Amino acid sequence: MTEAARPDRPRRARRGVIRLASETGEGLRIALSALVSNTLRSLLTTLGIVIGVMTVIAIVAIIDGLNQSFATQMGGLGAHTLYVSKWKWIMSGNDWWEQRNRKDMGRAEFEAVSREATLATAVAPFVSLDATLTSGQAELTRVRVRGTNQDYEVANGVTVAAGRFLSPPDVELSRSVMVLGPNLSDKLFPGLPAAEVVGRRLRVMGRPFTVIGVQTRRGRLMGLDLDSEATLPWTTFLRDMGAKRTISLAVTSEPGQGQALEDQLIGILRRVRRVPPGKPDDFSVNRQEQLQRLYHQLTGALYGVAIGVGLITLLVGGIGIMNIMLVSVTERTREIGVRRALGARRRTILLQFLVESSLVSMLGGAVGTALGFLVAWLLALTTPLAAAVTPGAVGLGLGFSAAVGLLFGSWPAWRAANLDPVEALRYE
Amino acid sequence: MSGPLISIDRLTRHYVVGGETVRALDGVSFDIGQGEWVAIVGQSGSGKSTLMNLLGCLDTATSGTYRLNGADVETLSDDALADLRNREIGFVFQTFQLLPRATALANVELPLVYRGLPRRERRALAETALRQVGLANRMHHRPNELSGGQRQRVAIARALVGDPSILLADEPTGNLDSQTGEEIVRLFGELHARGHTLILVTHEPRLAARCPRAIKLMDGRILGDGPGAEVAALQATRAVGT
Repeated sequence: MTEAARPDRPRRARRGVIRLASETGEGLRIALSALVSNTLRSLLTTLGIVIGVMTVIAIVAIIDGLNQSFATQMGGLGAHTLYVSKWKWIMSGNDWWEQRNRKDMGRAEFEAVSREATLATAVAPFVSLDATLTSGQAELTRVRVRGTNQDYEVANGVTVAAGRFLSPPDVELSRSVMVLGPNLSDKLFPGLPAAEVVGRRLRVMGRPFTVIGVQTRRGRLMGLDLDSEATLPWTTFLRDMGAKRTISLAVTSEPGQGQALEDQLIGILRRVRRVPPGKPDDFSVNRQEQLQRLYHQLTGALYGVAIGVGLITLLVGGIGIMNIMLVSVTERTREIGVRRALGARRRTILLQFLVESSLVSMLGGAVGTALGFLVAWLLALTTPLAAAVTPGAVGLGLGFSAAVGLLFGSWPAWRAANLDPVEALRYE
Repeated sequence: MSGPLISIDRLTRHYVVGGETVRALDGVSFDIGQGEWVAIVGQSGSGKSTLMNLLGCLDTATSGTYRLNGADVETLSDDALADLRNREIGFVFQTFQLLPRATALANVELPLVYRGLPRRERRALAETALRQVGLANRMHHRPNELSGGQRQRVAIARALVGDPSILLADEPTGNLDSQTGEEIVRLFGELHARGHTLILVTHEPRLAARCPRAIKLMDGRILGDGPGAEVAALQATRAVGT
């Protein structure tokens, strides 16, 4: 018996494969013709899926876009830089009230740190305000003007496209010179290439300055325009724009020396600022990674909301699919009976309806994915938000919708498969 | 072929409706041989539909045995019954039961899809079957573009395409005008002449009278089994007598 059956086996297996393939093909053909003949109904049915997938894709695209620009910017700023300031970057509770009463930081702190911080590779003081810039051609209000020294170039990853950055003599002699961000250069001297902007003169709060350099373009960081900054020697800043401002210090170390440098800085600053032993620091040492952590908390929450909203909408969409599939099964009861009479197994009918429900759902998912990217792109055009299309997001959209189709189609499909052929054929 | 194609022994089918047992079929026995043309005739409620469902392997009996082409139908699983229907039985329904969105060709191909035949083979067999029923030039029409008689021919082609052991027709002329019905009966005659085994379920004595053999059912039992004309007449006399 087994010997006789053996040569038959590959043929039977092959026939099984063909049968499964042709049944799936048949299922697809039926599903497509059902979709075409009920276009409006199919559209309405998939609306829930479309909206759900669209929401998720739009949010995910925006988060991905933010991640990309954030990573680029953070990379540009240098991960080994410590920022010493009166203010802590990430505040909570009553921090603000406590920090408001802290003593301002000034020359004494900068000089102590540059003299004594042996682990520091660069020490850049910085202080800023918003001021009005005027050139012969244009006037720009509320421009971020920053006073710093030559080390800022290293500590904050600034590079110049034309001219040069601040030099030690600029700082020592409090020269009235300025490095412009590319956007400022474009607006103040329209039509002039960066190289020709160098040497031009402009006024800040009525005082004349000479442009010595134009920065390379850096883009935006969380809505902050990094290309619209004006940089001048901090000594000049303190002389011309008020000596009473608090300054911050950007201090860099060799890789791996961050913690040691932080300890050293704390020791120096406590001594200079005369903090009694046992009292807490009256200054803060900030790091990029604190910002990163906050950023990831925020986007993580956003992700959570996106997934939550998406899941709820997909649930609603899935119920819509289930509903319409139940209608479809009822409408085609006799057809199911005929198919069963002609030799379709239960599994075949199950497969047919699963193919149909996941196809409907995936079409909705595809439309939703396209719309989601469209929404993200429009948002990126009209707001400071960025957007990015990642293959993962596309896969997520399509995969999720197919899964919803399968999940919510399985009960109607199961019902279809378990119809009694006799009853189904007699159904009016 | 040894033994009869169909062998039925004391077949019963009971339904429980509202707590009461209805004996739709109550101990029916007969054999049908290869190449026979048999009418199963009876009024509504006689049990002929129940018998047809059992013969068509769409339903299983409460008791008794049914052997079809050597297979013990009562012992088979649902999947095995589906495969058996696919291989052994060609259904022709009163209301044609064609898939409305599919062409004639696609409708006829359907049983072969479930048999797992490759596309090209299916296409060739379906074309042959449609030519046999005289629809060579209607292959790509949808059912709503065909007349009633043409639709029933498509249904017959669909029943024939898999080369089944029996053709099981349920009131095949019921939804047709008398002239078209006559054409269909003539087509059955041709198929019988070519050696097909035909079982025709009908309530019309005139149709039964034209079959070489008829089995007359009443209240779930066999009233008569013999040459079509005699059994049909038997029904007529009883109808007059009551």
